[in-house]
Amino acid sequence: MNDQVEDSTAQDNDAKTILVGAGVRLEGRIDGAEHADIAGTLSGTLKSSSVNIEGNGNFNGDMSGKEITISGYVEGNISSENFLTVNQSATIKGNIEYASLQVSYGAKIQGTLRHRGSVHSYAPEQTEINSEAEQVSE
Amino acid sequence: MSIFGSNEKKTEENTTYFFNVEKDRVNQSTLAKDIKIHGSIEAKDYIDFSGSITGTIKATTVNLKPSSYVKGTVTGDTVTIEGEVDGDIQAKDVYIKSTARIKGNIRYTNIDIQNGSIINADLFYSS
Repeated sequence: MNDQVEDSTAQDNDAKTILVGAGVRLEGRIDGAEHADIAGTLSGTLKSSSVNIEGNGNFNGDMSGKEITISGYVEGNISSENFLTVNQSATIKGNIEYASLQVSYGAKIQGTLRHRGSVHSYAPEQTEINSEAEQVSE
Repeated sequence: MSIFGSNEKKTEENTTYFFNVEKDRVNQSTLAKDIKIHGSIEAKDYIDFSGSITGTIKATTVNLKPSSYVKGTVTGDTVTIEGEVDGDIQAKDVYIKSTARIKGNIRYTNIDIQNGSIINADLFYSS
């Protein structure tokens, strides 16, 4: 497998960083990272507190993190505990779970958006009584 | 272009509307906060909606203000949402502002979502 884990710069800040450079293809499961910067292609599972999918970046699989920024292509599930930023150049196919979401005009999203903690913090006056539509799906 | 006269008029126009400043907003409908509608609203041009509706809204430009509540369908070329929607949204350009709460389906070509909005919906992109 041609994975490229760059912590060779050996600064403390970079200790838990994974960088998949442009043109690099990586398959597998990544866990415990602080920063993940994907400019190449990553297939698999990614857990990192911050994730950045670059403009040319490609991600396939399940991704979870606190702060996630997407500028490239993502197919799969995204779960963000904190900020999820979807830039103009991004294309996402799949399910998105978020706490705070910003999408720039031009981004393409196909899938389901689900706000974290909606059940607790949102809509004390229950408007969902007669909506049997999309709500039940999960 | 005459310098003073025309300029004054333009700035007057520009400050009148926050969104989407258009020169000839002749057919603009504004529905205030205390309006409740069961049924459908249809307009050719522009609707500013602050009330609550169970049914459908259709116009070229639909602007759902912070106090608005829609249960049903919103259709337009440009739809801006600051209020609450429970149902389907279909538009070429969808702008979701920070105060919006949305549940249902969104069909769009271009979408812009502001931080703070609460969306539990299925998104369908079409070009």
